[in-house]
Amino acid sequence: MQNPYIPIPVKVDKIITEVDTKDIKTFRFTFVNKGDEEKYKYIPGQFGELSIYGKGESPIGIASSPTQKGYVEFTVQKAGVLTTALHEMEEGALMGIRGPLGNSWPLEYLEGKNIVIVGGGFAFTTLRSLINYMIHEDNRKRFGKITIIYGARTPGLLLYKDELAQWAKRSDLNLNVTVDKGDANWKGKEGFVPNVCKEVAPSAENSVVVICGPPVMIRFTLPVFFDLGFSKENIITSLEMRMKCGIGKCGRCNVGSKYVCKDGPVFSLAELDKLTKEY
Amino acid sequence: MEKRLIKKETLAGIAKKMAGDFLVWAPVKKEDNVLFEPLKKDVEPFFAYLNSKNAPKNVFFPHTETMMKYTRTEKGMAFSQDESKADEAVLFGVRPCDAHSFLLLDMLFNQEKYKDDYYVAKRQKTTVISLACAQPPYATCFCTSVDGEPVSADGADILLTDLGSNYLAEFITPKGEKLIKYFGETKADAAAETKKNEIIAKAREAIKSKIPAHEVKPILDNNFEHPFWATIHGKCLACGTCTYLCPTCHCFDISDEVKGSDGVRIRSWDSCMFPLFTKETSGHNPRPSQKERWRQRTMHKFKYYVDNFKAISCVGCGRCVMYCPVNIDIRKIIQDISKL
Ligand SMILES: Cc1cc2nc3c(=O)[nH]c(=O)nc-3n(C[C@H](O)[C@H](O)[C@H](O)COP(=O)(O)OP(=O)(O)OC[C@H]3O[C@@H](n4cnc5c(N)ncnc54)[C@H](O)[C@@H]3O)c2cc1C
Ligand code: SF4
Ligand code: SF4
Ligand code: FES
Repeated sequence: MQNPYIPIPVKVDKIITEVDTKDIKTFRFTFVNKGDEEKYKYIPGQFGELSIYGKGESPIGIASSPTQKGYVEFTVQKAGVLTTALHEMEEGALMGIRGPLGNSWPLEYLEGKNIVIVGGGFAFTTLRSLINYMIHEDNRKRFGKITIIYGARTPGLLLYKDELAQWAKRSDLNLNVTVDKGDANWKGKEGFVPNVCKEVAPSAENSVVVICGPPVMIRFTLPVFFDLGFSKENIITSLEMRMKCGIGKCGRCNVGSKYVCKDGPVFSLAELDKLTKEY
Repeated sequence: MEKRLIKKETLAGIAKKMAGDFLVWAPVKKEDNVLFEPLKKDVEPFFAYLNSKNAPKNVFFPHTETMMKYTRTEKGMAFSQDESKADEAVLFGVRPCDAHSFLLLDMLFNQEKYKDDYYVAKRQKTTVISLACAQPPYATCFCTSVDGEPVSADGADILLTDLGSNYLAEFITPKGEKLIKYFGETKADAAAETKKNEIIAKAREAIKSKIPAHEVKPILDNNFEHPFWATIHGKCLACGTCTYLCPTCHCFDISDEVKGSDGVRIRSWDSCMFPLFTKETSGHNPRPSQKERWRQRTMHKFKYYVDNFKAISCVGCGRCVMYCPVNIDIRKIIQDISKL
């Protein structure tokens, strides 16, 4: 087996600036060596370590779906050393990715159920992976109704604008995009995610909520779903902790006995209840 | 099992002979300390030691080690070499508690799904020779409370026991047997066996420090939020000495260093006692004070490791007890928890 610390070489194939503040970009990587794409077989909800020699590594959720062949995408906010170096990269440059790491959205559990996706801010990335996976023609019939509630502070901060426009045209999903405050061109909803969830009021019957976003959004949104009758088993989220190795060795990302990098990052609220509140 | 007797004064010579054939790590005197170091030609190994100041874990998990090398190209830095290789080596004369720690580290670094190639390669290439504690060295030793024994072959390929004027050498594993030729031809007799059994009993008896290490597990399971956790860390300096010296602590950091057009990715020991260990870029820190860090250290050794690997991650060497500059004593912490 291959040394799990050695990154797989990739080429920066395409860089898409997602937001008008320019500090969130999507990076599309292609594999330098044939055969590596096959090795990088991932499931929505997993993450990778983006690796730039000389700068370091950062754990980033995989934003593309395994149904998108030939490349893998990550959407990254400029934050510190590694992510700044990444934002300065140009198309054609070479770097590395490790993984895929962590568990994933529980696809088998989600099958046959209605799926409610709730995302806030730039934490929408692995939810986008899940959506693109579920609506792919090979998979769509394996899932019930799909409801998406996605919010950002302003229209300029919404990710994946072209895809949102495509999804809006589909009749097999219910897309609700909201912004805290619109601008002159904004024709969509205004309002916070918890309120929109209340308005949309998806039924809890045979349904699962998959939610990612800033802690405040999650705090105010969860009660809405409890009121709608969702159990903790059927609300699923993804955690972030500081990471290094990504494979349960370096010892820094544990919450109780679980390593977020290896046993997570995806947990149901019921599972989180059993862990200590140290995240 | 093959057993040999060797004259006591020949032991250093055996280590030196081996050192002519491959890398031998042996205890050597360095200023006031005894440390495990690669045995050089003109250096005498020092087997009359109590225990080494640092745990010998650095043989398999060095304080800092190069993981890979890379070099500049016009498209950016590119991988040049994987450094996860190891040479044939012997770790000569470790105490049974420290040999026990290797079994605990194996559980983490040599898992089914992810193997840590750096650790595993060194571990596979190295033969471990334990030197039993016929007379347990310190009043702070508590190996018998944490599944250890002062005379124990756990984690050893060869076990040496001091019988007075001879050492009994027992070749525990096939790896150990490969070195049998260095130990002469004198087979151990029944008298040696009897003597060893006496020593085992006496040594075990001599360990007076006891902690309820197994009993605290169910208490730890249910008391993450107990006010007790606010009572340990008050004087802790967050110096990291306890984790640095501990044979079972395995946390590390990964970083990059570039010089000119070449660079290395290295890993170095890190510590859950340091505030930056878990601090995120946003400024959020899930363990915001020394209280949470001490809780982590205790929980990791006596609960989390037990949950994950069914083993307590402390071997009772007492190093953290002896060298903590402010006398925080893990034995007392465990005693106190048992009474919560
Ligand atoms: C499972 C997971 C998925 C993530 N997905 C995304 C994503 O899709 N998009 C995105 O922009 N960000 C994501 N993050 C956060 C991202 O990893 C951090 O913003 C990033 O590591 C900061 O690194 P830096 O070198 O730029 O910052 P620095 O502050 O310079 O980083 C120093 C070191 O701290 C560690 N670190 C700091 N903050 C975090 C953090 N929040 N999480 C993990 N490690 C951290 C890194 O190991 C890094 O080496 C994710 C984090 C996790 C754990
Ligand atoms: S916790 Fe202390 S006594 Fe236990 S193995 Fe580590 S250093 Fe030794
Ligand atoms: S050795 Fe003592 S003072 Fe230093 S970090 Fe450990 S407990 Fe704190
Ligand atoms: S990131 Fe190293 S243990 Fe999770």
